[in-house]
Amino acid sequence: MAKKVCVIGGGVTGMQVANVLSTLGVPSVLVEKSPELGGHVPRLSRTFPFFNDDGFNDGREFTAALERDLRSTSLAKIHLNTVVTEVTGEFPNFRVQLSDRSSIDAGAVVVATGFEPFDPSSLKEYGYGVYPNVITALQLEWMLNPRGPTGGKLVRPSDGKEARRLGIVFCVGSRNRRIGAPFCSRICCSYSTKQASSVMEREPGAFVACFYMDVRTYDRGFEEMYALAQDRGVKYIRGRVSMCKQLPDGTIAVRAENTLINKPFWGEFDLVSLSTGMRPCKDVEQLAGTLGIGRGPDGFFLCREWFRHPHDATRDGVFIAGCANGMKPIRNCMIDGASVAARVTALLREVPMAA
Amino acid sequence: MSKENPEATTKVPDDLLAKEHEELIPIADDALVAAYECLRDQDDAESQGPMGGDLNSHEPPGPADQDPPASPGRTYPNIRRLHGTPFEREKDRRETRAWAERCGGEMQEWYEVARTKPCTWWLENHLVARHSLDGCIACGVCTSLCPAAEYYEEYDPRVIIDTALSNDEARLVDLLKSETLWYCGQCGSCKPKCPRENNLMGLISSLRFLAQLKGYHLCSVRGRQQYAARHLWGGNLWNRACSLYFRNVDAESHADFGPRYAQYQSEVEPQMTRVGANPDTAGQFGGRKVPPETLEELRRCVAGGGTLALWNRLEEQALEEARRLGISIEEYFERVRSEG
Amino acid sequence: MRTTITAPAGEAASKEIPENDFFLTPSCVLGALNPGTEVLISRIYDLLGLRWTAAGNRPDSQCTCCTGIASHGDVMSMESTLLVVARLWSIAAQMGFENITTACVTSFAIHTECLEMYQHEPGLDKRVDRWLQEACGRRLQIPRHVVHASDIVYRYRQALGQEFMRYRLVEKRTGRPLRIVDHVGCHYAKVFPEKSVGGSDWCEVLTGMIRAWGGETVDYPERNHCCGMGFRQCMIRPNRGYTLACVLKKLESMEPWKPDAILTNCPGCNVFLDKEQWAAKELSGTTYDIPTLSYTELVGLLLGWDPYEVVGIQAHTVPVEPLLDKIGIAYDKSKEWFSRHG
Repeated sequence: MAKKVCVIGGGVTGMQVANVLSTLGVPSVLVEKSPELGGHVPRLSRTFPFFNDDGFNDGREFTAALERDLRSTSLAKIHLNTVVTEVTGEFPNFRVQLSDRSSIDAGAVVVATGFEPFDPSSLKEYGYGVYPNVITALQLEWMLNPRGPTGGKLVRPSDGKEARRLGIVFCVGSRNRRIGAPFCSRICCSYSTKQASSVMEREPGAFVACFYMDVRTYDRGFEEMYALAQDRGVKYIRGRVSMCKQLPDGTIAVRAENTLINKPFWGEFDLVSLSTGMRPCKDVEQLAGTLGIGRGPDGFFLCREWFRHPHDATRDGVFIAGCANGMKPIRNCMIDGASVAARVTALLREVPMAA
Repeated sequence: MSKENPEATTKVPDDLLAKEHEELIPIADDALVAAYECLRDQDDAESQGPMGGDLNSHEPPGPADQDPPASPGRTYPNIRRLHGTPFEREKDRRETRAWAERCGGEMQEWYEVARTKPCTWWLENHLVARHSLDGCIACGVCTSLCPAAEYYEEYDPRVIIDTALSNDEARLVDLLKSETLWYCGQCGSCKPKCPRENNLMGLISSLRFLAQLKGYHLCSVRGRQQYAARHLWGGNLWNRACSLYFRNVDAESHADFGPRYAQYQSEVEPQMTRVGANPDTAGQFGGRKVPPETLEELRRCVAGGGTLALWNRLEEQALEEARRLGISIEEYFERVRSEG
Repeated sequence: MRTTITAPAGEAASKEIPENDFFLTPSCVLGALNPGTEVLISRIYDLLGLRWTAAGNRPDSQCTCCTGIASHGDVMSMESTLLVVARLWSIAAQMGFENITTACVTSFAIHTECLEMYQHEPGLDKRVDRWLQEACGRRLQIPRHVVHASDIVYRYRQALGQEFMRYRLVEKRTGRPLRIVDHVGCHYAKVFPEKSVGGSDWCEVLTGMIRAWGGETVDYPERNHCCGMGFRQCMIRPNRGYTLACVLKKLESMEPWKPDAILTNCPGCNVFLDKEQWAAKELSGTTYDIPTLSYTELVGLLLGWDPYEVVGIQAHTVPVEPLLDKIGIAYDKSKEWFSRHG
């Protein structure tokens, strides 16, 4: 009987790891702290149409498909509402204790704990948490989802009226040495452009402006997505937003410099969405301690060899996949999950069977 | 400014305060300074009153009648006559030059040498400039928050950072000669939000200092105002230990403050006294006359930090400019103060 | 429709404010234009039974200004500023005081900048110590705390409100809390935001006082905008248009909320937000007439101290009496001026 792999985190990456391990005949145990599988993806409303139009129109469709595959194999066991409390032993004989009192004898551990969006309440200049019409990108995403609170309509939380002017603020909580987050969160320019483009697609009369410093839509097809957004009428203004203030009727005034024409200005919007950067999950520090693995200066887990074995954590037998290893788009998480599964499988095959 | 003139007279006229600037020039440095100090420290020994300088009696004053309050302790009636006069300015010119020659000091030398070096050298070596700037991502947050960028159409502080980072001597010189260098109001609105933790306010301050040392400030209207600044704040500081003197803010030159202000200013002394301040008197609060020992210590601190290198440079350049324009130094002072 | 926003508190508690033993440094601008406001600091300290001194507890002052105006007016080198400030610290230490409270926010930022310089520039403290000895025989002694006097009043705002004040920031006739715009000095909140109560965006130092004394705070778009004092911009006459423009911008932005007063903690802001209202009226045709008070003046008034003899409201261009009427503070208008016409 092949040794089991313990996969921590039941988002799309964790599910992919477990699914690919199953196809390779390796049993796995998937441990997820929340009541549901899928991570952040179920609340996403849309991906953009791409070369092959299998971009989903509701994140839940995608994660449901992954979950179906997972549950159809006997090789993967799933624990929901569960966390890892202790890990003892050495590769390839780990003993993993779970919070539901069960334990796993695992040959390897894969960490796929993903990320958390940065909470912009601490950046007081944006008024998040004070002004009702300032929301986060994730909240915007959920608002755009037909299953969401407004049935997919763009609405001003302050008075429920339709929101026709949307301002999207890039780099909230990222690229900011002052707050101890000098890094770039990689996916925000892309998801913001996707959101802006979606809004214009449904509401061609809307006014959508993206306030950027750079547009880092670098991945395959993303630059084309950016061009499409502009064709649809999304305005891109090069200037980092320094402040949001509320006008008497709840409209949000946004302050920035249009750096391409050297002019500071105020823009007025019904709704302002803060494209927040990402952070590793809050419990990552504890998990790092439990697993005995290191983290980088940006807080995400560290890999031992940057190029040759980019999934190996700093302890034998522990691997990192997906956004836990650094932010990446969904497709790259899927690629990552598959390659980690291959790496783990190959390593376990070299190990003589335990008596 | 006059060099020590062998023909200078040590005789000081009795009506010194009434003299025009030209009439002061023949008077020797030491005599001029001594005469000033003597006038400054002359107190009106006859006025003694209940509101003496005891700091620790703090019961709020009782109901007042409408007569002006009893005179406070010793008053110094000549300060009002001395402040902001050509006499004071001429005395300051001579005195700070003498101080610079006598005291010298490490920082004064440093600034005198720095003046001859390229602007790029300054950015690497000046205490303030060195700590002001790391890389810049040109995000525009500083400019978006800058009130001066809003008001002055052609002003963009982000471009100043770009110039500083370019390490391009010609661009830097252009900046130092420009009007825009002087638009910043030093409010610091740019400072709390820079994602790279740069200090634009400090950088501008540092560049302005250099512009004056090198004389580039003469190329702009705003820059030339620095000669007036040297005497307005520098003069107040040097002679009264405080950047502002209550009589500087007279109603006439502050018409924008309205008629109530004019009324207040017309009776400023009793108004100050009634609330516990010390107009031209000994004390701790507004308008106070400080003893010579305090001034001496202050001046030594100012000199020790190298500021006199700047003030003397400003004087030299102002004199050159005045000569070039065919006017007196005092006329030049008045001109740069009201230009623009 | 106006909306009143209660700003998020949170960081308010993080600034360490000493509770006693203050060395008070006076302000150039207050001393020249609104001298009652800084004398009031000393009166408030006395009222609270605090131990304090100015530079030299005798009639002759050893105090000098911190060179803030000269420094931001670009006629003072950083090293001279360091020395002048170090001298003040030395006097404080000599008199047995390790907590500096400044009457002026520019001073606060200057003193803090000196502290920061010593942190960031290795060896600077030794050089300044040597220069200071050469200049006037004194030694560099870093104070324990440098705070602004408004920090102290903030710290004691509850005590002042509950134990001493006779009046509240409430309209007497209707019971309506008065709407007060807080205008915090840029050099208090922006230059070193981590050294302010509440940071630069939702600064608590004045809103804390307003709420403690029964008033309501106002959030408006140009709330964080500088008053425009701008040192060389306001003090050299041809440049003063900038100052007026900044004041006007703020007044226009706050107007829809119909504030009852503006509260400041900075000398310069106090002067210009008050005095430029006259020019603003002449220029724009709109009468704002929003009484603009310093926090010490407000304390004095709410304590029931004489508005003219002690608080000195007559120094203001915008008459403060309408605010006193709202609060229900009695005053004798005949005491305003000494001369009969006016």
